[in-house]
Amino acid sequence: MIVFSPLSPLEDLLRNVLEWFHGSIGLPWAWAIVAVTICVRLLMVPLAVKQIHSMQAMQAHMPEMKAIQQRFKHDKQKRNEELMKFYRDNNVNPAAPCLPLLVQFPVFIALYLVLRQFSKHPPGGDLSWFGSLVPDITAHANAHWSGYLLLAIYVGSQLASTYFMSTTMDKTQRTMMMVLPIAFVPVLVNFPVGLVIYWVTTNLWTVGQGLVTRQLVPKKPPPAPKRSSRTPPKEAAAESKDGAEPKLTDEKPAAPAQPRRVKRKKKARR
Amino acid sequence: MSTVLRLPAYLGVGLVYVYRYTLGVLFPGGCKYHPSCSQYAIDALREYGLVRGVILAGWRLLRCNPWSLGGVDYPHQQRLFK
Repeated sequence: MIVFSPLSPLEDLLRNVLEWFHGSIGLPWAWAIVAVTICVRLLMVPLAVKQIHSMQAMQAHMPEMKAIQQRFKHDKQKRNEELMKFYRDNNVNPAAPCLPLLVQFPVFIALYLVLRQFSKHPPGGDLSWFGSLVPDITAHANAHWSGYLLLAIYVGSQLASTYFMSTTMDKTQRTMMMVLPIAFVPVLVNFPVGLVIYWVTTNLWTVGQGLVTRQLVPKKPPPAPKRSSRTPPKEAAAESKDGAEPKLTDEKPAAPAQPRRVKRKKKARR
Repeated sequence: MSTVLRLPAYLGVGLVYVYRYTLGVLFPGGCKYHPSCSQYAIDALREYGLVRGVILAGWRLLRCNPWSLGGVDYPHQQRLFK
């Protein structure tokens, strides 16, 4: 039965890429999958670089962010809103955007379809990985003990990559993200081993990228000029020197949690 | 809107939840906006129905790119459908 699937062009494309890695470069199928995964992640590196820059820029604003988090400790929604407004006003945003994430889904689904096709009509060539360790990457993960080993590695890598990705998530959500991969294992045993290879590779990439990011972004913000409780704040000191009433100057730093831009936007609404 | 007319939107909301507990878990990530894109999709579907909700959610996803600033953005703030 031939059913036209909207995903079949995608499947064909991925199949061609895999065949190119297998035929022209001479990689075994399993390593061709790893190569495709690395290509996808390499394409996404510029986005990661942008995020790293944003995180570096954010370090300077750490104290203000901490203050916002402290102020809205018990109101999650308000806290998120204020943080987002703060990011926007300061032109930084440490969170990863959603769109690049979606780029991975079609590749993933196409890989699933290709592997399913492979298990029905095996292509020529070596379908094993690491010799006899993983005998057939198109078989289900529960077909051989190595599948369970790979799943264990997958869970580990998934937890590690969640750890690196979840910079802004709150605690309950984070716990859920940590538990779900384990809860998924019974479902994943029915997936082809090749897909698990894809997951493990992409997760390990995320972890590596996270480690590099941590190296590039200093954990502690640059030391702020020390201010003892006895030293009056700058503006107050200036005013007291003048001896007159406080003047409104243009240089006056805006209160961090009061974004004017948002107000203006509301007015502009039709 | 009657419950029957709302059914397609609920179907969409269900799909978003399916995404959240499957692919969303397998590919962890954040969102530059508040509420997150998936929450925005759920709210938009509830408020505007399937067709307009999907369009709004799609437009939001396109805006959630590395070149945007992010920020606070609720479905009721949209200006596409009035």
